[in-house]
Amino acid sequence: MNERRPYRRPMPGNWWAKPPYRAYTARELSGVAVAAYGGVLFAGLLSLSRGPESWAGFVDFLKSPASLLLHVLLLAAVIFHVITWFQTLPKTMPKMIVNGEAVPPKKITRIATIFAGAMSLALVFFVLGAAQ
Amino acid sequence: MSEPVNAESAVLQKTFELRILRYTPGRDEEPAFGSFQVTGAEGMTVLEALQTIKDTLDGTLSYRWSCRMAVCGSCGMMINGTPRLACSTLLRDLPPGPVTVEPLQNFPIERDLVISVDAFVKKIESVYPYLIPKEQKTVAEGPHLQTPAQMAAYESFSDCINCMLCYAACPQFGENPDFIGPGAMAMLQRYNGDSRDGGRQKRLDTIHGEDGVWSCTAVGICSEVCPKQVDPANAVNQNKTNSAFDFFLRFLRTEQPQ
Amino acid sequence: MEIFEADVLIIGAGGAGLRAAIAAAQADPSLTIALVSKVLPMRSHTVAAEGGSAGVIQAHDSLENHFNDTVHGGDWLCEQDVVEYFVSEATAELIQLEHWGCPWSRKPNGQINVRAFGGMKIERTWFAADRTGFHILHTLFQTSTHYPSIKRFDEHFCLDLIVADGRAQGATVLSPSTGAFTAIFARSVILATGGAGRVFRQNTNGGIVTGDGMALAFRHGVPLRDMEFVQYHPTCMPGSGILFTEACRGEGGYLVNKDGYRYLQDYGLGPVTTEPRNKTMELGPRDRLSQAFWQEERKGRTFVTPQGESAVYLDLRHLGRAKLKERLPLIFGLAEEFMGLDPAETPIPVRPAVHYTMGGILTDINTATPLAGLFAAGECSSVGIHGANRLGSNSLGELTVFGRVAGQEAVKFARGAPAVDPARLADQAKASIAKALSVRDRKGGGERHSVIRKEMASTMEKGCGIYRLGPEMQETCEKLAELKRRAEHITLDDRSDIWNTDWLAALELGYQLDVAEAMAHSALLRKESRGAHQRLDGFEKRDDERFLAHSLARYRPGAAPEISYGPVKITKSQPGERAYGARGEQLEKKDGAHV
Ligand SMILES: Cc1cc2nc3c(=O)[nH]c(=O)nc-3n(C[C@H](O)[C@H](O)[C@H](O)COP(=O)(O)OP(=O)(O)OC[C@H]3O[C@@H](n4cnc5c(N)ncnc54)[C@H](O)[C@@H]3O)c2cc1C
Ligand code: SF4
Ligand code: FES
Repeated sequence: MNERRPYRRPMPGNWWAKPPYRAYTARELSGVAVAAYGGVLFAGLLSLSRGPESWAGFVDFLKSPASLLLHVLLLAAVIFHVITWFQTLPKTMPKMIVNGEAVPPKKITRIATIFAGAMSLALVFFVLGAAQ
Repeated sequence: MSEPVNAESAVLQKTFELRILRYTPGRDEEPAFGSFQVTGAEGMTVLEALQTIKDTLDGTLSYRWSCRMAVCGSCGMMINGTPRLACSTLLRDLPPGPVTVEPLQNFPIERDLVISVDAFVKKIESVYPYLIPKEQKTVAEGPHLQTPAQMAAYESFSDCINCMLCYAACPQFGENPDFIGPGAMAMLQRYNGDSRDGGRQKRLDTIHGEDGVWSCTAVGICSEVCPKQVDPANAVNQNKTNSAFDFFLRFLRTEQPQ
Repeated sequence: MEIFEADVLIIGAGGAGLRAAIAAAQADPSLTIALVSKVLPMRSHTVAAEGGSAGVIQAHDSLENHFNDTVHGGDWLCEQDVVEYFVSEATAELIQLEHWGCPWSRKPNGQINVRAFGGMKIERTWFAADRTGFHILHTLFQTSTHYPSIKRFDEHFCLDLIVADGRAQGATVLSPSTGAFTAIFARSVILATGGAGRVFRQNTNGGIVTGDGMALAFRHGVPLRDMEFVQYHPTCMPGSGILFTEACRGEGGYLVNKDGYRYLQDYGLGPVTTEPRNKTMELGPRDRLSQAFWQEERKGRTFVTPQGESAVYLDLRHLGRAKLKERLPLIFGLAEEFMGLDPAETPIPVRPAVHYTMGGILTDINTATPLAGLFAAGECSSVGIHGANRLGSNSLGELTVFGRVAGQEAVKFARGAPAVDPARLADQAKASIAKALSVRDRKGGGERHSVIRKEMASTMEKGCGIYRLGPEMQETCEKLAELKRRAEHITLDDRSDIWNTDWLAALELGYQLDVAEAMAHSALLRKESRGAHQRLDGFEKRDDERFLAHSLARYRPGAAPEISYGPVKITKSQPGERAYGARGEQLEKKDGAHV
């Protein structure tokens, strides 16, 4: 008589690099960009507290091509993170019930994304207006 | 009485190649692929192809099935690397070329396409999967009222067919087999979201910690592979918030949870 | 071999078995209840029931109406006292399910909603979208986990009953996942193993619906009653037989032939109405609708599908996408996934397929079989409510009403029964194991069970289809005898111990052949037409003189079953004309009686 001998397949160590998990990995990694930008802001704050010279150095750094490139990259990563995060949003919140029916996840994502986009634009215009 | 002769010959026939992961305990050290050529109707499902193999080519091929209409939850397997129900996957809808069929990922293989289900059944049993009535009512008092809006709060979770595809899609379950996982959390939320139920606290107490909701990192593929739009990821993630609140609020609670 | 001592043993964990287990656990929590199922309980075929479950709830309805619909629908072959009990208990059971959490579909005000169903005078079918059986089964399974005295044997296959001193005392089971055998001893046993539709070719049943319990009881001398009555459901997927629920018609769907004509009006079911009208046209009973299809096919007014099957159309387009998605989501998905069509845009090709076995293990109103200590409930049993034709949505109600009765009665019996004698029973279990192993290990016979199964299914379809002829039934009986002989020579590809599904399939085929024989022989000898049993060879009429009687098939080892007849219990409703549509309403008006 042969016996029960369940076979456990090993979990591939690189599962996160393969589809369909790659998208998730990218979303999580793009979260690093948010932290990185936090770092940039913090550096600015530090230099401000160290006096005008330090601050001027920071502003010079911001004007450098390297910094511009970094900002473009960070912006792209943050936008990616925001969009993909809103795709996950409906999965993280209690069901929204309107008129006796659950609001479909896609609709929640759409509304949230449009709202965030509108708020960001409003902020940009506000800052530009204040700068003038 | 006999039916008129059917135009059997008119049925469009096609040959498909299936690569199936085979494993017989006691005979094989580890699983290995076997290849089969199956001829059948062009609109054949993967399950029908497996049945043809078993009936005509190799009777030793083992797999679970019953309803063949995507409702009993027996026939989950990896088809071309994705967890799917074999009975509702049509071969013609897959990309041309050989079709790979494997047992559900992340579960121990008992034999061929048959995986172990005991641990999953224990998990659903662990979340008090029955109505704990808010108010006791006798049958003579009639049914509870429940508006369509109240139903909508838990309806999708009650549609879970326990097929375990979501577990096969969950890398965190792959890393930690004790993680309660999406399907059982859908079951929990099915009752916690029910307006007639009063057992929320009792169930929340079962899901704190690593093996509870906190193994989840919101990968979200579980909801994508779910054949019944249950959205188990939603059940898990809602309950992270619930579990966190519960953790802080328990210090304020006067009576102890039973 | 392991041994497990229980008080009550339940074989089958579908709707009936689970309801019985809960009732038994509630009746006496000190008893140990063993609940055996060859699949995980929630895989049981109750899961596939779509349409709903009948129970009087509307103010303008009455138990009397439900009683009359059922008895007329069954062509007066029902046990009327049992029907009376059934209709009086059905609603309470549906409410009980609600209290256990079953998500019944609701009206906007939160009350239970009901829908129309074939052969029912007033809407009384409770539904949970079109997944009623699924929700009932999952509710019952989940509720059962609350009772610690229920010891489940999931994925355990029953090989045989243990019968000693003239009473049922347990069963021998095999666990495919470990290869181990267990003898379960008990003081009472309930069979709840479901139907046997898989003995036919095109059917709506799951692979597990192989009549195991019927055959087990039969082999131990319990008669199978009314086995010739096999229900064809008129709207199934051509080829696979997957069901499109009657609720499609209850919600207002039309049946049209290849010319777009609502042909039911030609078969005494008119007048044609746009809105669904109870007991008229598409809401006629299943036997009449399936017969009408057969006639249309003869007239060349059906078409042939790519699967090579003839079919008509189920037209749901006028119901609109929103209603279809709300009320019939499963049907919508089946049409999309399996047939690649959008039911809101395209009519669905459908044809009749075998759906339900009206007959089964003979029981009295308390679900007791003639074998002491053995009870039966659900589709495997014949408690007597369906007669010659079951009305849609009466079966799910039967599971809960008589599942509960079975659980309570089995507890009563177990309490009064003497303790079992393990040594003697163990010998019997060992003999059953040896027999099962001989099926697995047999060499050199050269027959394949898959071949025999296909031949069985074709011959059953040919001889015991929608319309039946003496010579063809005779041929089927002979063919089955031949197949039984050949089945002795089945050799398996697989001789291993773990998950040997080749072996299980061969054992199931053994059960199926016994059940098929009981059906075919019962059919051959019923020389009349009644309900689902319709003949075209000089016996086109109902013959109450000779055949207002239940057939009883008794097993004879190595020979064809013996068929005899037993009386039908008639209390209030004398046999009359069974009419639907305009004629039905006319009759009803004439004698003020209900039709
Ligand atoms: C597609 C479909 C739709 C239907 N729709 C409706 C409807 O809308 N309304 C209605 O009233 N009725 C409907 N019916 C009929 C109704 O669903 C069935 O009659 C009913 O569900 C049968 O339930 P059961 O508990 O008797 O058996 P099942 O649910 O079939 O359960 C049988 C149990 O027995 C076990 N078993 C069998 N053999 C063995 C063995 N050898 N060893 C161990 N265990 C065994 C199985 O594992 C299973 O647990 C429908 C039927 C079908 C097929
Ligand atoms: S949540 Fe979906 S995928 Fe997971 S077990 Fe339930 S039905 Fe299957
Ligand atoms: S066989 Fe039931 S879900 Fe596939």
